[in-house]
Amino acid sequence: MSELRIVNIEKQYGSLQQTGSRAFSLKPVDLAIQEGEFFSLLGPSGCGKTTLLKLVAGLLEADKGELWMGDADLTRVPPEARKFAMVFQQPLLFPHMTVEDNVAFGLKMQKSGKKERIERARNMLSRVGLEGYGRRFPNELSGGQQQRVALARALVTNPRLLLMDEPFSALDPSLREEMRELLGRIQKELRVTVVFVTHDREEAFHLSDRIGIMSEGELLQVGTAKELYEQPASTKVASFLGMKNIIPGAISEGRFAATSAGVDFPAAEAGLTGPAFLILRAETLQLMNSNAQTVRKDRWNFEGIVQSLRFNHGFYTCKVEMGGLELECSLSGQQVQSISRGQTVPLAVDLKDMYWVAQ
Amino acid sequence: MKGFPRFIKAFLFLFLFVFIVFPFVPLVLSSISYGWQWPNVLPESFSLRAWEYVLFGSSDTLRAIGVSLSIALIVTAVNVVLAVPAANALARYQIKGKWLVEAILFAPIVIPPFVAVMGIHLTFLRIGLTETILGVVLAHISPTLPYVVRSVIISYNTLSTDWEDQARMLGAGAFSRFYHVVLPHLLPGIAAGASLSILISLSQYLITFIIGSGRVVTLPILLFPFISGGDPAIASAYSLLFAAMAIGTLMGLDFALKRYYRNKKTAAGKTVEE
Repeated sequence: MSELRIVNIEKQYGSLQQTGSRAFSLKPVDLAIQEGEFFSLLGPSGCGKTTLLKLVAGLLEADKGELWMGDADLTRVPPEARKFAMVFQQPLLFPHMTVEDNVAFGLKMQKSGKKERIERARNMLSRVGLEGYGRRFPNELSGGQQQRVALARALVTNPRLLLMDEPFSALDPSLREEMRELLGRIQKELRVTVVFVTHDREEAFHLSDRIGIMSEGELLQVGTAKELYEQPASTKVASFLGMKNIIPGAISEGRFAATSAGVDFPAAEAGLTGPAFLILRAETLQLMNSNAQTVRKDRWNFEGIVQSLRFNHGFYTCKVEMGGLELECSLSGQQVQSISRGQTVPLAVDLKDMYWVAQ
Repeated sequence: MKGFPRFIKAFLFLFLFVFIVFPFVPLVLSSISYGWQWPNVLPESFSLRAWEYVLFGSSDTLRAIGVSLSIALIVTAVNVVLAVPAANALARYQIKGKWLVEAILFAPIVIPPFVAVMGIHLTFLRIGLTETILGVVLAHISPTLPYVVRSVIISYNTLSTDWEDQARMLGAGAFSRFYHVVLPHLLPGIAAGASLSILISLSQYLITFIIGSGRVVTLPILLFPFISGGDPAIASAYSLLFAAMAIGTLMGLDFALKRYYRNKKTAAGKTVEE
């Protein structure tokens, strides 16, 4: 098995530079990526995810740390000898070569025969849905087609690792979704290990086996999409994943209390004491029928005033005010029919859906 | 040219004619005249005497053209070899004292060559490089190199390092990266710089005269005595020959470049048909 291991790699960017840009540092990253895994690095722009990718590629030299692939130490191996491939944000197709020659470039560098080169290039082009485009020049293709060629060019050499640096962010949304499907399919077919950098949550969730969340040069948490979503390690991760309902408070003697909001209920499962944040995912807030349901023990019931209703593809995002806090919940179109702005509505959250992180 | 109003077209044509074609008319007339004196608008009698002298009378002419061209081509080749790494460094790296390097490199454009040539001459005398083609080639590099470096720098400025990173990630070593990715991008810049270098080297008189001490005979060396008080008919003929040589060389360069691009395209077409 050849897994990729990133051992305490770190990088400091010139504090000496007088360019006015503040010094940036990538804090030590320790990570193992399985063979055939699709791993995403997710974070806001400027968080160091591209830096980490370039360190893995070898295009940047790490200050400290090691990079291993199986039992081979790649730390000092130059990028052209690592047998990795990379797709950049721009297609970067060589303009003076045909599409076919572009795709075959990696094979040419490996000194494989011309016949084999052309055959494999054509094969890969048809995999990305560009059969018959081989003799065209890159400027005759659309942006999406160019990025497909870039993908084919990266994959044709059977790289042991494919690095992707926000490859679809320059494309328009519908094209991006199409490319996402294509990449997902090809990755499974070829079972290539992928490290994918993106700032797009949906993209990362859709494609990845595991995701690493980065912020300000630090790898905050690594896990599957579900793990990250249901058990974020910190409020930073939670808010980056789009969670709006983060309530500060404190846990003592098995009860969580946020005095300002008048919240007080059992929190035995939290396993924490002291100041903590309660994180409530929007879909765990349930709208109660005012008459029917009885108060249950394993549920926190409260009332909120509807502040706004916004239609979001397929469901509504509803903001309610509760004791000075603004909470967000997702409601179906049917539920929304019975409520309106300014109305006080009963809401409930199952205690098992609650999640706390230490403050 | 469709979008241009007719009068602008006419004006451009006139401009082209007055500044480029017109000056050749008296040259041609003078070269085939026999005693063309003021105040005659046209020469009184014609003869091919000057052309006979230039082309057949003295065997020096052909040799001079050969020397001129070989010096210009060697100078240009050396310039390109020097300019590409220099431009790479100047365009891409933050070097301490970069302004000084640039100032020295571009100084020959602003400072009259005469200033430097006196010193070069003294040095070359000591090491025995005067009166040799090698010496003249070395001396010609100083006024021509800045133009080549300048144009290659501009090419480098428009080449993002991402391209080389991409080639690198596809397994291309340093040489392959340069040959397959960088060079094709630099080529137009190199061609522009090389044309300037050829033209400037061809038209050097002073430097060739001082360093070559009259022993390295290029076309301008032959031409000069006739201009400064010799036979105006022969001077005209030489001038025309000189212009033909320069234009011919540039056209040759242009042709080579076009053929290079056409070969690329047909080669690409062929691999598909195989």
